Amino acid sequence: MPLLEVTGLRKSYGEHIAVDDVSFAIGVAETYGLLGPNGAGKTTSISMIVGILDRDAGEVVIAGQPHDVTSVKTKELIGYVPQEIALYRDLSARENLRFFARLYGLGGRALKTRIEEILEVVGLSDRADERVEGFSGGMARRLNIGVGLMNRPKLLVLDEPTAGVDPQSRNAILESVERLADEGVAVLYTTHYMEEAERLCDRVGIIDQGRLRVEGTRRELVGLVGETDRVTLQADGDLARAVRDLAELSQLKQVSSGEGQIEVLVSDARALLPLILETVAGSGVQVRTVQVHEPDLESVFLHLTGKALRD
Amino acid sequence: MKILAIALLNLRRLFRDRSNIFFVIVVPFLMIFMMGLLFGGGQQHRLGVVGADSGPLAQRLSAALGTRDDIEVVPMGSEEDLRTAVERGQAQAGVMIPGSYDADLRAGRQVQVRYLVRPDDWQALDVGSWVRSTVPKEAALLYAAGFAAAEDVTSFDDGLRRAEAARLPGVEVKVSTIGRTVFPEGFSQFNLAAPPLLLLYTFLTSMTAAIGLVETRLSGVSARMYSTPTTARAIVLGETAGRLVIALFQGLLIMLGSALLFQVEWGDPLGAAALLTVFSAIGAGAAMLLASFFRTVGPVVSLSAILGLGLAAVGGTMVPLESFSGVMWTVAHFTPHAWGYEGFVTLVRHGGGIGDILPQLGVLTAFALVLLPLGVWAQRRAITR
Repeated sequence: MPLLEVTGLRKSYGEHIAVDDVSFAIGVAETYGLLGPNGAGKTTSISMIVGILDRDAGEVVIAGQPHDVTSVKTKELIGYVPQEIALYRDLSARENLRFFARLYGLGGRALKTRIEEILEVVGLSDRADERVEGFSGGMARRLNIGVGLMNRPKLLVLDEPTAGVDPQSRNAILESVERLADEGVAVLYTTHYMEEAERLCDRVGIIDQGRLRVEGTRRELVGLVGETDRVTLQADGDLARAVRDLAELSQLKQVSSGEGQIEVLVSDARALLPLILETVAGSGVQVRTVQVHEPDLESVFLHLTGKALRD
Repeated sequence: MKILAIALLNLRRLFRDRSNIFFVIVVPFLMIFMMGLLFGGGQQHRLGVVGADSGPLAQRLSAALGTRDDIEVVPMGSEEDLRTAVERGQAQAGVMIPGSYDADLRAGRQVQVRYLVRPDDWQALDVGSWVRSTVPKEAALLYAAGFAAAEDVTSFDDGLRRAEAARLPGVEVKVSTIGRTVFPEGFSQFNLAAPPLLLLYTFLTSMTAAIGLVETRLSGVSARMYSTPTTARAIVLGETAGRLVIALFQGLLIMLGSALLFQVEWGDPLGAAALLTVFSAIGAGAAMLLASFFRTVGPVVSLSAILGLGLAAVGGTMVPLESFSGVMWTVAHFTPHAWGYEGFVTLVRHGGGIGDILPQLGVLTAFALVLLPLGVWAQRRAITR
């Protein structure tokens, strides 16, 4: 049974349809990415899923229980990390955690222990009693995530958690999400960074203009649009002979050469790269550099919508 | 429990900002002190006098005017100097003794002493009463001396000396007050200043607390609270209770602090507590309503100051309600401040109990019953939309 089932989710503001018939499901310990540009409907979808925004139509089921804005029981299972730094900036990290812990119903020794655990997880133990307003962007982001973990959620919903943070903090955040997924938490992750979706997500849903265009694993998505890997070899020697030898390999889709390089189109570059290099070496050609361009979600998005993710 | 956690967090956050500590704790007491001084009591009045050096009798009058402890007679060089000093408020009032004062009195001629005062200076009324009672007393002695001299009983100066020394029973006016006096005898100036300022600051602090509410919503904290297993009702009630706690804290601080620092007597504790509680509820409701109208902080900052100070001014907590004209008095009673003011007047000045302020409490409760549910409803809508 999926931990989260979303069916026919719809939300409109007057004439503008923000989310239109969005459906997907997330299993236990699965990380699902909602990938789309700004304004695609990711945050509106998430707001309805976590139960802070009424939906016009559709259904959200969490751990088998119907869920909406009034569902207190199912909200106990969700950890929500909003896009903005939703913290009291005039309070310390510890005070923020304590406040939200109380809203999750924690108290007494359990509350204190959990606060210390979270401070440790987000690496803010030594800054626990400092006000958030004095934190760097990355530290505030980490605390923002920490609040979402207070209740040991079964479903963690993160809305663009790395927006505006430095590369180091971004990496720390991504590692935290990976660790949580390893611990069995189901993660719903929205981003417009293709690299994050590719690194973190077991499955990805591509959303644009309020509609979920396609979903699946990275390979399934890439396969849907028929993309192939492209291997580029910078080489010296008889390139024409090398091209002829490569063309005899049935696994390769296309081989071409020009201006000191050979280009090979292949369905699985990683698997066939040793064979390609061996064949080229056998042709007496010396390879200087090798580049493998795998088809990515960016190209899938481009193919589906005709525009780039960051447009 | 969650409602309490949200409410107490609001109070905690109030004191995280050092400027709040100054404005909520220090400024009200400074204002009570300054307004107390302004309302009188211990303040020295300056009475400018021209012509005191024109003769011994003029000097006598000037000296007589200066016999009251709280009146300082300030000799002025000319009528022009005196006018300028009164107009600029450097003297509360002025007395012009004519240069022919001594000669006219000795010759038995009528003398006119002129009194200068600004029309809007109500402290000068007290000085005026003093001048109007001192001059006739002096005139009576001079009249007796003049009469003795005219009848050839003795000289003018000897007659004046003897009249001064005489202890004759006279006619006195015995005043019996019926109904309420505006300011009872022995009433402290701080008792006068503190209640209106309590109303002003309690409401103003509530209004400025609306800013925090908008910030909480805009920063996404309200939405985040709603994503936890906390109902919208609990969040809104917590925020409402937070505003109420802040207003009550401000009011109680002023009550207890002014009692301790300035010996302000707030009258019947039950009545004072009831007035403060209902007035705080009005402030909380107004703050919730104001915060729900706007999606940015800017307008709330402006409006909280305008409403907090404007309603206080119209409601008679800056200038005493008793000094309002008929129309303004009626307008004032469209604000809760005027009703709160009247309630505290009954308790503080006239020793009334909670039973005596039931009409005021009734109107204030009606204000609260409209504003508070409206504020809660609007805030809930703002959080969940």
